[in-house]
Amino acid sequence: MLNYALRRVLGMIPTLLVISVICFAVIKLQPGSFVDQYLEDPRFSRETVENLTRQLGLDQPAWRQYLNWITGVVTRLDFGYSFASNAPVTDVIGERLGWTVFIAGLTLALTWLLAVPLGIYTAFHRHGAAAQFANFMGYVGLAVPDFLAALLLVVLVRQLGGTNVGGLFSPDLIDAPWSPAKVLDLLAHLWIPVLAVGLEGVAGLMRQMRASTLDVLSQDYVRTARAKGLPEGRVIWKHAVRNAVNPLISLAGLSLPTLISGTIIISIVMGLPTIGPLLYDALLNKDQYTAMTLLMFSALLLLIGNLLADLALAWADPRVRYA
Amino acid sequence: MHKRSSLVLLSLSLLGGALLGSASAAPKKVTGYASLGVVNGKPGGSYTLVLGDSPQSLLYYGAIDNNLGLLSQQLFDGLVEFNLATYKLEPALAESWAVSNGGKTYTFKLRPGVKWSDGQAFNADDVVFTYKNFIMNPEARAGDAGNFKLDGQPVTIKKVGDLTVQFDLPRPAPAFLLQQRYFILPQHKLAKFTGADVNKAWPTNVDEAEVVGTGPFKLSRYTAGQKVTLVKNPNYWKVDAAGTRLPYLNSLEFLIVRDPQAQVSQFLAGNLDQLNISGAQFPDLKSKEVAGAPFKVVRSKALFGSPPFVAYNFDAKDPALAKVFSDLRFRRAMQSALNRERIIDTVYNGLASLPGHGVAPANTAFYANTQRQLGSFDLAAANRALDAMGLSKRNGAGLRLLPNGKPLEFDLTYGTDSAVYPPIAAILQSDFAKVGVKVNLRGILASKLLSTGQSGDWEMILHAFGDQPDPELRRPIWQPGGALYYWHRSLQPAKDGDRPNLARMLPWEKDIYTIFDDAATTPEASKRKALYTRWQLIFAQNLPVTPIAKPENIGAVSNKYGNYVYNLGVIPGYNPVPLIYQK
Repeated sequence: MLNYALRRVLGMIPTLLVISVICFAVIKLQPGSFVDQYLEDPRFSRETVENLTRQLGLDQPAWRQYLNWITGVVTRLDFGYSFASNAPVTDVIGERLGWTVFIAGLTLALTWLLAVPLGIYTAFHRHGAAAQFANFMGYVGLAVPDFLAALLLVVLVRQLGGTNVGGLFSPDLIDAPWSPAKVLDLLAHLWIPVLAVGLEGVAGLMRQMRASTLDVLSQDYVRTARAKGLPEGRVIWKHAVRNAVNPLISLAGLSLPTLISGTIIISIVMGLPTIGPLLYDALLNKDQYTAMTLLMFSALLLLIGNLLADLALAWADPRVRYA
Repeated sequence: MHKRSSLVLLSLSLLGGALLGSASAAPKKVTGYASLGVVNGKPGGSYTLVLGDSPQSLLYYGAIDNNLGLLSQQLFDGLVEFNLATYKLEPALAESWAVSNGGKTYTFKLRPGVKWSDGQAFNADDVVFTYKNFIMNPEARAGDAGNFKLDGQPVTIKKVGDLTVQFDLPRPAPAFLLQQRYFILPQHKLAKFTGADVNKAWPTNVDEAEVVGTGPFKLSRYTAGQKVTLVKNPNYWKVDAAGTRLPYLNSLEFLIVRDPQAQVSQFLAGNLDQLNISGAQFPDLKSKEVAGAPFKVVRSKALFGSPPFVAYNFDAKDPALAKVFSDLRFRRAMQSALNRERIIDTVYNGLASLPGHGVAPANTAFYANTQRQLGSFDLAAANRALDAMGLSKRNGAGLRLLPNGKPLEFDLTYGTDSAVYPPIAAILQSDFAKVGVKVNLRGILASKLLSTGQSGDWEMILHAFGDQPDPELRRPIWQPGGALYYWHRSLQPAKDGDRPNLARMLPWEKDIYTIFDDAATTPEASKRKALYTRWQLIFAQNLPVTPIAKPENIGAVSNKYGNYVYNLGVIPGYNPVPLIYQK
C-alpha cells in the first residue's frame, strides 16, 4: 500500500510540470498585458509602462519568465510576487486560505450529509410522495445557479427586515475579538452562501447516490440477503449501501479542487474573503504568478483528491485491493 | 534636524502653554459652504462607506488603485486642495504660495504647527522627500514622474526654510499649481525606501501604526478582504466655523463589497451609510426614499466624472472605412442619428444633461457653451447628409454601399460590464440601422476599452474619459498626437515626448495642437480661457469624438448624518468627509 502511494506521489511530479507549462502558455497566449488596466490613469505615462514592465520582468521572453518562476518554486518554494498586491503570492493566498477552506469545507460537508441519505431514501422509496418531492427540489437546486439562489435569499432576508445580507460578519464585529456573539453572527451570515452553494451540489450528488443504489438493489446478492430473511436495515446498510457508495468515493476525490474554484461567483456576490475572486482577478488582469500558483494548487488538489479517493476505495472495497 | 525641530516645537508649547501652542498651530477654518447646506456639526459618531475591493497596498504611490485612493484621501493631504463649492484652489498643507520669475518659480509656505498623526512635526523635509522619492521617482508605480519633465527638462524642488519649499520650472506652466494636490508622506516612517523599493513600502499587512499621515483620519485596522477602520486623527489641522476641531466623526469605516448589487443591498440593510449610485439605480432607491426609507438620494451637477463618447477610427484597417470615418460630413451625419434625448431619458433616467466638448458644463472657469453645435436628433437630415456625401447607393437589404461596392457596416466596441454602455450601444445600433448603416456590437470588458482603443483594432468605440477642472490636465487625451488621442493613432510620435506627426494632421487638428501648446505656457488666465474656448468650438464643429451626455452625480446617504456633500472619492484635494457629522 505504502509502495503504491509513493509511486503515485512521484508520478504527480511530471504531471504537475506538464500542467504548469500548459497553464503558463495559455495565460501568455491571451492578448494584452498586466499594465493595460492602468493605462486610463493620467499618472500612467509611457515611461511608467516601461519601468513597470521591466520591474515585473515582463520584458523578458516568456520561456525565461517561466523558467525563472519554476526554478524559484522547485528550489526555494518561492511562488513569485503577485503583481497586483506587490507581495509574495503565498502571503496573498495565505491571507484568504483559512476562510476559503472553512467555507468550502462547510459547504461540502452540508452537501454530503444531505445528499447521501437523500439519495438512499429516494432509491428505496422510489414512488413515495416524499421522494418525488426531494427529486423535484433536487432538479430545482440543479437548475438555479448558486449566485442567483444567494441573491434571492438576500432579497428575502431584506424583505423580512434582516440586515445580514453579505460578508461574514456584521460590520461592527469584523475586527472584534472572538466571542460567542461573534460566532452566532458568523452563522447568521454564513447560512446564505452555504445553503446556496450546498443545495446546488446536493442535487447532483443525490441523483448519483440514487442511481448507484438502484443499480445495487437489482443485484442477486441483495435478493439473496432478503431471501435468507435478513432484517431490512441490514440489507440496506450492510449489503446495498456498502456497495453503492463506491462511485461516490471517487466523486469525493474529484470535488477537492472546488475548495478553490467552487466559490468564485458566490464570493463576489456575497462579499466573502475567499480565494475565488483572487483567481478571477488574477486571470482577468494577467497577474500571472498569482494565477499560476492558484491553478497549480488546484491541480495539486485534484491529484491528491484522486489519490486519496483511490486509497479510500481500496480500503472500502476488497475487490479493488485484490485486483 | 528633524528631531531638533520637533524638540523646539515641544519646548515652545511647554513654555508658552496653551495660548502659544494654539497660536503657533494655525488651523484652517472651513467656512462658506452654506450653499452646500453645511452647518456646524457635533463631534462623535461613526460613518461607514464602501470599498469596491481590497486595497492593493497602503502606499499611495505604490499602486494605481481606486480603493487605495479612497483610503489615502482620508489619511493624507496635499499642498493645495479644492474649494468644495467652487473647485477653486485653496491652501491645504501649504498656507500660501507665490509665483515668481515669470511663472517659472513656485514657492510654498507650509502651514506651521501641523503634526503627523503620531505627533511628529510636519515640515519642508517631508515635502521634499515625498516629491523626490515618490512623486518624481520614475520607478514608483503610481508616481507621476512624467509631469515633472517639461519639454524634456526636469522640474526641481528644494527646501528653502524649515517651512518653505520651492519648485523651479524650465518654462512657465500655469496648470502646475493645480497638480500640487499630491499626498505628502512622512519622511520619518519611509526614509529607508528608495528607488524601485518604494513600491514595497507599506504592504497591506504592514503594522497599522506605521501608516502615519496628516489627514483627518488615521489607520486603525485592516481586516483582509473585509473592512478597513480609520479613526479620528486628533492632530488634524482644520476647524469648523465655530472653532471645533475636525473631523467630527470618531471613526470612518470602509466595508469591502465588490458587487454593485450587493453594495445596494448592504446600503438598504443599513450596513453602509453612504453609497454613490448610477442613474440606472436611481428610480429604485428614490421610490424607497419617497416611501419613507431612512435615507435620501441626492443629485448634483458634476464637474468630475466620465461622460461617454463615440469615436470612429481615422486609421481603421479597412481603407474604405478609414476614408469615410475621416470625413467630417460622415461624423456630422451620424451625430444627427445620435438620439441624445432618448439616451438621457432611458439609460440615465433623466439624470444626465447635454455634454460639453472636453469640458464639463459645471466647470465655470473654462466651459464654453457648445450646445448649438450638438444639433438635434433628425434621421431625415442624417439620411440627406449621407446621400450628399456620395453614399446614396443601397443594397437589397437597404444598407448603404461604400464606393468600393461593399456595404457600410462596422463594429461598435463597447464595455459589457457596465450599466450604461450596453443600452447606449443598442440604441445607437437601432438608430444607425434606420439610416442604412449597419453596426455590429462587439462587447469587451470595460477595463479593456482603453488598451483596445490604443491597439487600433477597432472601428467605432463607445468609451469615456474623466473630466478635470483644467483642460491642461487632459492634454494627452485631447491634443492631437497625444498618448490617449487614439482615434487618430497615426499622429502619435514614435517615441514619447517627440513631436507628433504634424504632416498627417487635418487642418483643424493642427489648430487644436497649437492651442494646447500655447495654453500650456500662457500664464494669463483670461488668455488661457480664450484659447480653450476656441478649442471647444473647433472640437464641437469637427468632432474628433462625438460626446453623448454628461451624467449627473448621484449619492444616497443615511438620514443619521448631516453635511453630506457628493464626493466622487478619488479626486485628490476634494474631500468633504471631515465635515460629516452624526446627528
